[in-house]
Amino acid sequence: MEAQAGSHERMTPGVPPVVGARRWLPVLRGHGGASWRRWRYPFTRRTPLLIETNYNPFTLAAERRIRNPAPILWVIGLAVLAVAPPQIGSNSFVLSATSFLMYAAINVIWMLQIGTAGIFSLASLATVGAGAYGSSYLSVYFGFPWWAMWLTGPLFGLVFGVFIALPAIRLEGFYYALLTVGIAELCRVYVIQDQTLGSANGLMGADSFVPRWMSDRGGLVLGYYLGFLLLLGALALYRVVNGQRLGRLLRAAPEKHEAFAEALGIDYRRARIQVFLISSSALGGVGAFYATLLHGATPSLFTIDQLLLLLAMVVIGGIGTAEGAVVGTLIVVLFDKVFIGLGPIRLILIAGIMLGTVLFLRGGLFGVPAQYLVWRGKRRSERRGRHSQKGGEVMPEEATEIADKQAIYVRRFDARVRIDLKRLITDTLIEEHRTTFGKRRSDALERVLTYFRGAAVTDKYAVLAVKPFAEYRIVALSGRRGVPPRTVDDQIFTSAEAALHGVFLKRVQDLMNS
Amino acid sequence: MDPYYLLLTAVSLASIYGLLAIGISIIWSSLGMINLAQGFTFTAAGYGAWLVAENISTNGLAVVAGGVITGALVGALTGAVAFVPLYDKPNFPLRSLIATLAISLMGGQCLLWLFTPRVKALPKIFGVGSVHIGPATASYDKIGAIACTAVLLLLTLGWMKRSRRGLEIRAMMQNPEGAALVGVGLRSTAMAVMMVTGAMAGLASVLLSQTYFISPFAGTTPLVKGMVVALAGGLGSVAGALIAAVLIGFVEAFTAVELGGQWVLITQFLFIIAVLLVRPRGIAGMIEHSRE
Repeated sequence: MEAQAGSHERMTPGVPPVVGARRWLPVLRGHGGASWRRWRYPFTRRTPLLIETNYNPFTLAAERRIRNPAPILWVIGLAVLAVAPPQIGSNSFVLSATSFLMYAAINVIWMLQIGTAGIFSLASLATVGAGAYGSSYLSVYFGFPWWAMWLTGPLFGLVFGVFIALPAIRLEGFYYALLTVGIAELCRVYVIQDQTLGSANGLMGADSFVPRWMSDRGGLVLGYYLGFLLLLGALALYRVVNGQRLGRLLRAAPEKHEAFAEALGIDYRRARIQVFLISSSALGGVGAFYATLLHGATPSLFTIDQLLLLLAMVVIGGIGTAEGAVVGTLIVVLFDKVFIGLGPIRLILIAGIMLGTVLFLRGGLFGVPAQYLVWRGKRRSERRGRHSQKGGEVMPEEATEIADKQAIYVRRFDARVRIDLKRLITDTLIEEHRTTFGKRRSDALERVLTYFRGAAVTDKYAVLAVKPFAEYRIVALSGRRGVPPRTVDDQIFTSAEAALHGVFLKRVQDLMNS
Repeated sequence: MDPYYLLLTAVSLASIYGLLAIGISIIWSSLGMINLAQGFTFTAAGYGAWLVAENISTNGLAVVAGGVITGALVGALTGAVAFVPLYDKPNFPLRSLIATLAISLMGGQCLLWLFTPRVKALPKIFGVGSVHIGPATASYDKIGAIACTAVLLLLTLGWMKRSRRGLEIRAMMQNPEGAALVGVGLRSTAMAVMMVTGAMAGLASVLLSQTYFISPFAGTTPLVKGMVVALAGGLGSVAGALIAAVLIGFVEAFTAVELGGQWVLITQFLFIIAVLLVRPRGIAGMIEHSRE
């Protein structure tokens, strides 16, 4: 039982622990011997799936639950990507799918800069452009083959990264974001004006990885699979950088807690710059792939509109996760390519989705579960708050203090009974009580009297005969043995019936005041 | 090379960039929002002025009024979409930045859709010709740009200094939470700020359209330059933005004359990177912690 309770309290990372929020997970069959058999990454003790085995307290059967279904979804999604588009699509569809893979790779690597390193650089596409232009330049003017372009692309990315990382050492947050927007614009203007870089038409004529003997369709499919490998490589890089030492260091130094991390001995600046440079070289590599895929580089790589599309992808998916980057890219590319007949309206639609995401979601699509849990928790506590406004009942915060839970329910029941009885009290009922001693009484009066008779002895009203048949007074019982009742007031009744009716009136008064 | 010409060009460019930069700067310091939709406001105001010139009157004042009013309206729209629903939500600075980017993307595409990519020209509101002031020769549109900017800036700064609303804006610039506690309405003040800065962008648009044409994405370069000026001057400082505008206008004019037009952005960026490396908050920027 202990283990069972503990397993529910442990939440998945990123989801805030909310009282009463339990995740339902499908149960796998298994037996005790299977609980330690796991798939592991080769040469490590890391497991792709976190499988937890518990014993059902009633049936004593072993139950295995997968606590992180994400890797399974990744495998399914990537398998669909690996098989479907070249099989089902026309040529233009395969080309769109290839550009999706490339953008997804860019966004995953960019996520390292924005999410992991926390450097809000908007020059990601400009870094890609630097790799594309640099490698195309070498290919066009020095005859580099495609594989040499792939090797030199990361170098250009690295050089560009060093150049734009210099201001990042001193600038913070938005100053840096604005500066990188400017740097991208600067690159665009420079590229358009330079004759050797092909001016506004772009630098075309770079070597392609498609062999000459291959058909058009074959070349497209080859490009698609190389793009798929590129995305896999980007995901692997994300995993290695974000999940290993550098990522852990940076997770210990989030925004506004840098000073604390520094006091712990974490050189967060160095780690940030390292992540930034690694991802810049990777972006340069993507740029080289771009150049070999499209036979060159165009100034559109540096435009603010393209940058905005990329930002829309990242924002819609949610900043800080690789799956957010990929799914956001998928949504935007679908809109961009599927509704291409709509013209500018499709971009308005994309901007509308982006605006809606930012206005209503805290962390994009992949932040929805966490946000939903928070929202549900808020609604629940509001409901509890409304609930506790009813008189006489136990407030929820009080309920944790009361050991005897039966008392809570007794008080709740009592409160409801009193609400019902209050409706029965009328002047005719009181008059009936005065006149019908020793006679049959109405159902309503019997109910009220039954409730009164069942009250606790402490402070219960009673009639004291001071002089029998002449003088009666109302007293209240002490409820403790040996302690005499106290007199309630100076009223003296001349008959027992009148005194009993006086007691009734006092009880009615207390009931109506409760 | 004529030094007076250089100076005049620098000051007229500085006045136009300064209008945008001061807008960006005031918005950042009072609302805590980076307004990247300022470029869209700029373009939309240009089209507003063009519509007035086409349909109502080509009178200079009417055209300027058309641009300024459109700018103020678009500014208010930006504020209503990007500031009012978001300002008390978590992660506000980033979300509002992205919201303004989305507005600018959406707005640019809407303009493209409505007005087609063909460029439009505004009438010459200051007339054509030039005047000799001592040894220097100044064309009417440069003098007009400088004069208009000076008048609008003086009016705005005076208003911010003297009026009740200006006092509220300055209170919000210093400490938004404190301002809210003493009864300054954050939303209404923010809308006022957005309208005033939108009007500035509108005026800048009309002034710059005396030299350049209006097209759906004409706002990008002025936005980038205004942002660069605001950064170099220090976000949140009007005086810093003015100094930076003059310096950067001078760098631009000097580069265009000495090295050629294609080097303008490059020298500007080297200049601003140098400024920011020496002073990471710009020439006269507030310390970020003072806003919190």
